Amino acid sequence: MSLPVGVLGGGSFGQALARSSARAGQKVVLWSRRELSLPESSITCTTDLGRLAEAELLLFAVPSPYMSDLADAVGRHLDGSHLLVHVSRGLVGDELTTVSEVLGARTPCRRVGALGGPLVARGLDAGEPGGAIIGSAFPEVIESVSEALGGARLRVYGTDDIMGVEIASALVGMVTLALGYAQCLGLGPGTLAVLGTRGLAEATRVGEVRGARARTFAGLAGAGDLLAAVTGDGRPELEFGTALGEGLDVEAAAKRAGAYIEGTDLAGYVSAFGLRYGVQVPIADGLARLIKGEISVAQLTEALMTRPAKRE
Amino acid sequence: MKLLPSRPLRLPRLRTYVPHKDDPKIFWFNSERADIVDEVVRRIMERYDDDESTELMLNDAAYHEIRRYEASKSEGRKLDYWRGLLRRVGRMSTEGKQETLRELAFDMATDVAGNFDPRVYRFSTRVVPGLLTAAMNPSKVLRNVIEGRRRLDDLVASEGPLDKIRHIARRGTVVLVPTHSSNLDSIAIGWAIDREGLSPMVYGAGKNLFTNPIISFFMHNLGAYRVDRRIRAAIYKEILKTYSCVVIERGYHSLFFPGGTRSRSGALEQHLKLGLAGTAIEAFARNCARGIDRPVYFVPATINYALVLEAETLIEDYLKEEGRARYIIEDDEFSQIERWVSFFNKFRGLEAVCVIRFGEPVDPFGNPVDDQGRSLAPDGRIIDTSSYVSRRGTRSVDARRDAAYTRALGRVLADAYRRETVVMATQLVAHVVFRRIVRTTPGQDLFARMRLRGAIAIPLEELEADIGATRDRLVALELEQRIHVSNFVRRQPPHNILQGVLTTWGGYHSRPIVRIQGGSLIAEDPNLLLFYQNRLRGFAPEIAGEHEADQVAAREIAAMEGRP
Repeated sequence: MSLPVGVLGGGSFGQALARSSARAGQKVVLWSRRELSLPESSITCTTDLGRLAEAELLLFAVPSPYMSDLADAVGRHLDGSHLLVHVSRGLVGDELTTVSEVLGARTPCRRVGALGGPLVARGLDAGEPGGAIIGSAFPEVIESVSEALGGARLRVYGTDDIMGVEIASALVGMVTLALGYAQCLGLGPGTLAVLGTRGLAEATRVGEVRGARARTFAGLAGAGDLLAAVTGDGRPELEFGTALGEGLDVEAAAKRAGAYIEGTDLAGYVSAFGLRYGVQVPIADGLARLIKGEISVAQLTEALMTRPAKRE
Repeated sequence: MKLLPSRPLRLPRLRTYVPHKDDPKIFWFNSERADIVDEVVRRIMERYDDDESTELMLNDAAYHEIRRYEASKSEGRKLDYWRGLLRRVGRMSTEGKQETLRELAFDMATDVAGNFDPRVYRFSTRVVPGLLTAAMNPSKVLRNVIEGRRRLDDLVASEGPLDKIRHIARRGTVVLVPTHSSNLDSIAIGWAIDREGLSPMVYGAGKNLFTNPIISFFMHNLGAYRVDRRIRAAIYKEILKTYSCVVIERGYHSLFFPGGTRSRSGALEQHLKLGLAGTAIEAFARNCARGIDRPVYFVPATINYALVLEAETLIEDYLKEEGRARYIIEDDEFSQIERWVSFFNKFRGLEAVCVIRFGEPVDPFGNPVDDQGRSLAPDGRIIDTSSYVSRRGTRSVDARRDAAYTRALGRVLADAYRRETVVMATQLVAHVVFRRIVRTTPGQDLFARMRLRGAIAIPLEELEADIGATRDRLVALELEQRIHVSNFVRRQPPHNILQGVLTTWGGYHSRPIVRIQGGSLIAEDPNLLLFYQNRLRGFAPEIAGEHEADQVAAREIAAMEGRP
C-alpha cells in the first residue's frame, strides 16, 4: 500500500508541488487554510490538518514566518514516522535558525529535509525539464522526495548537507534582492556579476559557520539557484529589489513583488550573525542599512568598493 | 594467540553467585559474559563475510599493530606474530582468513569485556570511602574508616530529578552521559550513583587507568570494560561499539563520557564524540525491530568541580596543542598521591568539592519523558518511540538513519550540558578576573597574556562589586533555567565568595593563581584563570553588564568558544 503525499500550503508553490506529485503517480492530500478544489482526481483538498496524519511525507510550502504556528498545529497529529520537507527560503531570527530546525523542535518529527535549487511554481507546473536538490541527513527522506516528485521532467539530486541547502536558498534570495536593486540603478553586467559572485562567497562563509559544506553552495542550491534567478525565472526577490531601487518603501515594494519576501529581515539577521561570530558579511551589512534607510546607495557602493581586495 | 598480557585480577569463585530477585541487572553480568563475547564475534563475522573485506580488516589490523609495537620497542614476540600474519595473509584461503579474523575478534572482545563481582561491589561501597578519606588524613585512621562514607557524602553533592531517574531505570535501559573534566569523574559519579540508589553501570575506561593494579582491580570487577586507545585497528573500534550495543540491547545500564577525553580547556564539551551514543540508538532500533519493547533513556549530567585535580596539566596541554589533544597523559596530578591529599584537604566545611547535576532524561530522539518514562511530544502527548525507526509501517535497523539521529541527539545533549552546568565559586571569580585581564589587553592572544603574569592588579573593592554584579546576572539566568549556580555562590556575599576562593586555590596548584597585595588582587596565572573561567565563556556577554569595555571583552571571551 502506498501512502499519500501531504502538501501544506494552497499557494502557487503548494499547488504546483501537489500537481507534480500527482503526475508522478502519487495520491496527494493538499491542505490549505482556505477551501480549494483542484480538478485532478488524485488530489484531495482539505482544511483539516488531521487528514495529513495518514501521509508519510509532508511537503511544507508556506512562508517561514507562518511556519512555527503551523508546525505547532500540525505537530499534534504527527509522530516519529512522518518525514517533513519544506521549500521555504527563509531563516528565523539572528541566530539564523533554519526552518527544518523549527520543524524538528516544534513537532515530534525528527526526519526533516529541505528542498532547494532552481525550482519555481511556474516551471514545475509547466512540466519544464528541471532539477532540484533535497537536503536531509536521513536517506529515507531523500528517497521519498525523489519518488514523490522526481521523474522524466524533474531530476531530484540529494545531499546530506541540509544546512547548506537551507542557508544557500535563503541567502541566494538575499543576493537576488541586491541584484534587483543594482539592476534598477542601471549598473552593468560586470558589476552585477561581481555582486552575485561575492554574494555567493558571503553566503558560503555564513554557511560554513553554521556547519554547512562549501561545495553545496557551488551546486544547485547556491550557484544553480542564483543563475535561475538572474536569467529571469520571475523571482519575486528580483522584483522586490527593483522596486526598492526605484525608491519605494519596503511595504510598497513587497506589494508590487506580489509575494511574501523572506529576505526583507534577512539582511539584518545575517549582519548581526556576522558580528557575533566574526564573519565578514559586507553585502548583508550594506543591504540591511540601506533597507533601514541609514545609508544611501552611493555610500553603499563606495563602502563596498573601497574594501581592501584580498585573495579570492 | 595472546594479544594482551595484563589480564586484570579476579577473585576466585568458590561457588556460583546466585543473584537475588531484587538485585540490579548487572549482578547477572558474569553469567552472560561468555554469551556477550560470542554475540560480538558473531556480529563482526556477519559484517565481514567475504574474502575481500576479511583480508582488508586483517591487513589493517596488522599494519596498525606493527606500527604500534615498533614504536613501543617492546613485545618483540607480538611484532613477529603480526609481521608473520602480514606475510601470510595474501596466501591464506578464505576460510583461513575468516578463522584468523574470528580468533582476533574473540581475543579483542574478551580483552574488552568487563567483569562484575558483587563481593567487590559490596566491599568497595562500604569500605573504600573510609580508606580513601583515611589516606588523606592518616592521624585519625580509625575515625575516618568509620565515618568515611559520611565525609565523602559532604564532598560530593548530587542534584537533579533523581526520583524520576530511579523510576525509569526500572522501566528501561539508562545511558548516563556526564561531562568529563577529571579522572576523578569516574570515582565521583560511581559514588553518586551508588548513594542515590541507582544501579551500578557498565562503562568504558581507558586502559591507562588500568595500569595501577589496585584501581584496575576495582574498575575491572565493577563492570568497567577496557578501552585501549593505543590500538588503532579498525576492527578494534568495531568491537568496542558492538560490545556496547550488545550490553545496552540486553538492558545493562551504561555510562560513558561523550566528551571523549577530559576537557583540556576546562570548557563545557560542545563537540561530542558520539560513537557510543550511536550504539545505544542502534540497540534501541534492534530491540524494536525484533518486537522487544525496552526503552532507552539518555541522562545527561554535569560534574562540576571547585578545584580540578589535574587543571595545570590539562590547560598546559590545551595551550600546547590547541585542540589536538594528547590522548594519554600518564604523568599528571592523578598519579601523585600527595596532590590527592592536598586536594581533599582543601575542603573543610567550605562547600562540596564536586556537584554532580543530573539532567532531565530524554529518549534516543531527544524527546523529554514523563515520570513513567513515556516519551512526550512538544504538545505534551505521549508518543510511541518505535515510530522513529519505522517506515511504511515496518520497523528496521538502518545505520545511516541512526547516525543522523545520533548527531541530532548530540545537539540535544550539548544544550543540556549548558543548561545543567553548576557554576562554582572558583569559576565565577576566575571569570571576573579574566574578563578584567582581557579588558586591559584587548585583542592580544593567550600567549601574550601569559607574559603579563603578575602585572594586572584589581582593587579588591572593585573586584567584589564586580563579583556581586556578575553573580546576580547568573542568578537571573538561573531563574530562566538556563544555568545553575552552587549554593555557596547563590547565598554568600561577594566578600565571602572571594575569600572562599582564595582559600580553595591557596597552596593547591604549584604556582599561585592570584595573590593579594596592598588592597588589590594580582592576577598571577592567566592560564589557570582561563581554565577555570572557560566553563562560563559561552555566557560571557550575558553576564558582563552594560559597560562597553566589559562587553567588548566578553565578546572576545565568547569568541574563544568556537562556532555554533
